[in-house]
Amino acid sequence: MNIQTIALERQTVADTIRQFFRARDYVEVDTPILVRSPGMEPNLMPFETELVDERGIVHPGGLITSPEYSMKKLLGRGMERIFTIAPVFRNGEELGGTHQPEFRMLEWYRQGADYQACMDETEALVRAVGAAFSRTFPAFRRLRVRDLFLEYVGVDLDTVDATGLRVACGDRGLRTDPSDTESDLFYRLFLSFVEPRLGPDPVFVYDYPKHQASLSQLTDDGKYGQRFELYVDGLELCNGFTELTDVAEQRKRFLEEAAERRDLGKTVFPLDEEFLSLLPRIRQPAYGNALGVERLHMVATGKKSIEDVLLFPASQLFGTK
Amino acid sequence: MASPNDIKKGTVIRLNGELWVVIEFQRVSPGKGSSFVRTRVKNIRSGKIVEQNFKSAESLEFEDVQYKKMQYLYSDGQLYTFMDNQSYEQVQLSASDIGDDVKYFKEGLEVTIIMHGETPLTVQLPKKIQYQIVSAPPAVKGDTSGNVTKEVELDNGLKVRAPIFIKEGEQVMVNTETGEYTERVSE
Repeated sequence: MNIQTIALERQTVADTIRQFFRARDYVEVDTPILVRSPGMEPNLMPFETELVDERGIVHPGGLITSPEYSMKKLLGRGMERIFTIAPVFRNGEELGGTHQPEFRMLEWYRQGADYQACMDETEALVRAVGAAFSRTFPAFRRLRVRDLFLEYVGVDLDTVDATGLRVACGDRGLRTDPSDTESDLFYRLFLSFVEPRLGPDPVFVYDYPKHQASLSQLTDDGKYGQRFELYVDGLELCNGFTELTDVAEQRKRFLEEAAERRDLGKTVFPLDEEFLSLLPRIRQPAYGNALGVERLHMVATGKKSIEDVLLFPASQLFGTK
Repeated sequence: MASPNDIKKGTVIRLNGELWVVIEFQRVSPGKGSSFVRTRVKNIRSGKIVEQNFKSAESLEFEDVQYKKMQYLYSDGQLYTFMDNQSYEQVQLSASDIGDDVKYFKEGLEVTIIMHGETPLTVQLPKKIQYQIVSAPPAVKGDTSGNVTKEVELDNGLKVRAPIFIKEGEQVMVNTETGEYTERVSE
């Protein structure tokens, strides 16, 4: 791949994203990369570092795995529609294929609309970036996780519990581990029986079980998180939510995640209290979406490896290849 | 005990008392929850290939195996004989030990033999192998739109689809993971 071509393609992707959001009255914002609390998510490994102040006092910190907390602080301080293209960092992941330790995340947030409206907007964005490379897409399907499980696993997520999921794995010859949580058992079934059936055409998968709700608002029946992922060419492009704004619930989920990090022997970062104090000031509903820019680039240009859309692949920088 | 994060192509895993060699792997991190390693593994005894997913936090038993570069010499139809060009040591594998990969064999091919002590377990092919075209029908006139391909025959008897410009006597590379033509090799 010619380096000039990659550079020009990257420019086109970024320009198209910016034009798309400006035309929709979004404001582009910059958010910090180096923060005190990079994230609580138990399964992500942030890059940790230290800030030394002018008196020589050392403050632990890290590089963001997502600009989410900063973006929501801006919503709490009164911004209505914002987007950012931020470098984000995740340690302990693959160097190549569809992963990089450093990549660009497009995140956008809007107050006054929910995740269904966000799916509409995401589809329009993917079509706009595809069009910049003359790629067109068939209709974007929307499938509930519960319906996919009924069809491909034969399990009703409305009623099944962890024991039922473990039995379902056993019946279908899937291995399980004693350490598996409800979420792990769910994902074993999803990975073996659902994801392979999604196909290459664009599909939104939405309403994930409560244990996979992350930072999303629950559905009216309290069983699912209003969360979606978009798959195109079998590649997971983004993760969007109707955002949780209930501060008590948010604090509870953070503390659960902190406990899980402690159990896994990982660094437990302090709760971001500024984030928690601004959360109730976000008007409901509000949506947000996090989309990997390199993956969108891959989809728009038909590339199979993330290294084909990068000027400086990490495997070359670190000589792992 | 080993971690699924250490899985590579050719890793031999002991699962329920049987040995399985990893032929493909991919790490997957869901939007929420633990990360997993998705693999395709081949049973060393039966040659059966299945998908197997491991949670990164699980512990696994890897079998201690050696990887030896050897050259494929010949077959009597049942057994396939390979030789280490340095020590002249020879080993034999049966057709079922090798499985479907046997179709890529040609005399002199450099392969990796996975050894368990003194016992050869299976063979790993190079990702790409070079072949000579022995038969390629001429392109049909007018048939030039898009990605038009035709069936060609390689010097070991294998047939693959290749672009219509490929001619008899040319050298081409074939990907042994996909079974597809990848490129023409200029002399």
